Amino acid sequence: MRKPIILASLALAAIAGGAAAAEKPYRDMIPYIDYSNPAASGDAKHTNTYQYWKDRDKLDPARVTSGQLNWTTNWKFMDAPYNDTLHGGYVAQDRGEELFKRLNATGAFAACLGARNNDLKGLRLQYPQFREDMNRVVGMEAMIEQCAEKQGMKLENGSYDNSAVSIYIGAFSNGMPIKIDVSKGPLKESFEHGKELFHTRVGWTNFACATCHVNLVGKSLRGQTPTTHFGDASHWPTYRTKDELQSLHVRFTECNRNAGTQPLKIGSQEYTDIEVFLTALTNGYPVSLPSARD
Amino acid sequence: MNKKTIGLAALALVAGTAVQAADLPSNILYDANSEKKTLWPQPVVNSGVLKYNEHRQDLSRWPTLSYEDKRPTRKAETVELKGDLNGDAKRGKEIAMNTQRGNCWACHVLPGDPQGGTGGPTLVGFKHRGYPDSYVYQTIWDRRAINPGAIMPPYGTNGVLPEQDIRDLVAFLQSLD
Ligand code: HEC
Ligand code: HEC
Repeated sequence: MRKPIILASLALAAIAGGAAAAEKPYRDMIPYIDYSNPAASGDAKHTNTYQYWKDRDKLDPARVTSGQLNWTTNWKFMDAPYNDTLHGGYVAQDRGEELFKRLNATGAFAACLGARNNDLKGLRLQYPQFREDMNRVVGMEAMIEQCAEKQGMKLENGSYDNSAVSIYIGAFSNGMPIKIDVSKGPLKESFEHGKELFHTRVGWTNFACATCHVNLVGKSLRGQTPTTHFGDASHWPTYRTKDELQSLHVRFTECNRNAGTQPLKIGSQEYTDIEVFLTALTNGYPVSLPSARD
Repeated sequence: MNKKTIGLAALALVAGTAVQAADLPSNILYDANSEKKTLWPQPVVNSGVLKYNEHRQDLSRWPTLSYEDKRPTRKAETVELKGDLNGDAKRGKEIAMNTQRGNCWACHVLPGDPQGGTGGPTLVGFKHRGYPDSYVYQTIWDRRAINPGAIMPPYGTNGVLPEQDIRDLVAFLQSLD
């Protein structure tokens, strides 16, 4: 009697697998570029602008102030040490400290985020990470929301206060290079999905993220010039000089809307997978917080 | 996969009292009871919740990045320009040089616009290129029918601009000296 049961469950699994594959709709794609060794330096094979923004303290002022060439510095001039003015990111950091101290009165909040002995140094580098208990990959801001809830505080992912706490914690890793391992396990799966999403064409425009950040990179779209997507994930959440504080997922909703695409919920698996993809493309590049963007 | 879905549900953030249409993905920022339907999240200083605003347009009609979204990319359509062009160049200009409508100037330089985009070729002097109206009409309707990898939005296929708007655009471009 045992054998048929196993066989039957195998058959069911096969059907389920087949159905899942068949369900995937046809989508136009922007062809992949070389992502074989994901790191910020990989941009050398994309826009080849890495040489200009690799060392923030060696940025060329002529390039930064040039209307034509500014995009080649990948906005890194908005970060310390090139720009250390007391912008709104610092105000948010102070707010984050205050909230963190309230949340972490017993040390449970930091422990929930994965810190040992309340040591926040390097914690930022552990995200995004796979959580066994949740059986999914999460970003730092998603965990801040979860762990704050356990302390009875609502810090919705993407909200100002959530981002403020993220900046406060992240700044302990300032200068430390991003280094997530996407070569195996759930992070590899997440990276592959994020890569696919980044190149998938959607919305009324039929644009992918890659339409702008690969095909139209360096081109002017009436005053806006898309830059490389390498080295983009070590300065979030960021202070937007027009918009207040913005998390990476909130930025995705902005890019989606600019491209005529319906945005997704903050913290969605899809945005998290794109976050993993972009974080891997920032490997080797140092954390810089608080940061600012135009 | 099941477990993953449960994890997602636990984390999922419901935008206020947002209501979802039954056939749309569950994880888009959308409220069927609002006027424009598509929402965007705005952080508010010293607040632990996001404020959800309406986007200027309902974007849920087209495919999204949601894994639940089963709508395919619409395949390139080959179209025939029937009858006389019957286009109004003045109307065409208003469509082309308007960010909320054709938004052609995002990628193309047009006469009188110092900020014109550089994503596509300039359209200044277009009438001297000698393209037949049918070719220009097809390009705007769906450039992919001419060049499969084209990045220009398929205005006709995706139902962005109605046929008359495209006729007006053709008349406008064919007038550019
Ligand atoms: C219509 C073109 C367009 C599309 C499509 C687009 N972006 Fe952008 N994106 C821009 C522009 C322009 C900027 C501002 C300049 C820059 O930093 O590249 C930007 C900025 C960004 C930034 C901030 C970079 C920084 O250092 O501050 C990120 C991250 C980003 N985009 C990710 C994405 C993702 C993910 C997608 C797809 C969901 C996407 N973009 C789709 C045009 C686009
Ligand atoms: C995302 C950028 C983008 C937008 C927006 C865009 N185009 Fe284009 N367009 C292109 C590109 C790129 C080409 C080059 C041809 C190709 O890709 O096959 C092109 C080609 C063209 C051509 C052919 C030019 C030639 O000399 O062969 C015409 C005509 C044209 N576009 C008209 C329009 C009109 C009208 C609009 C607005 C309704 C528009 N485009 C919006 C990117 C764009």
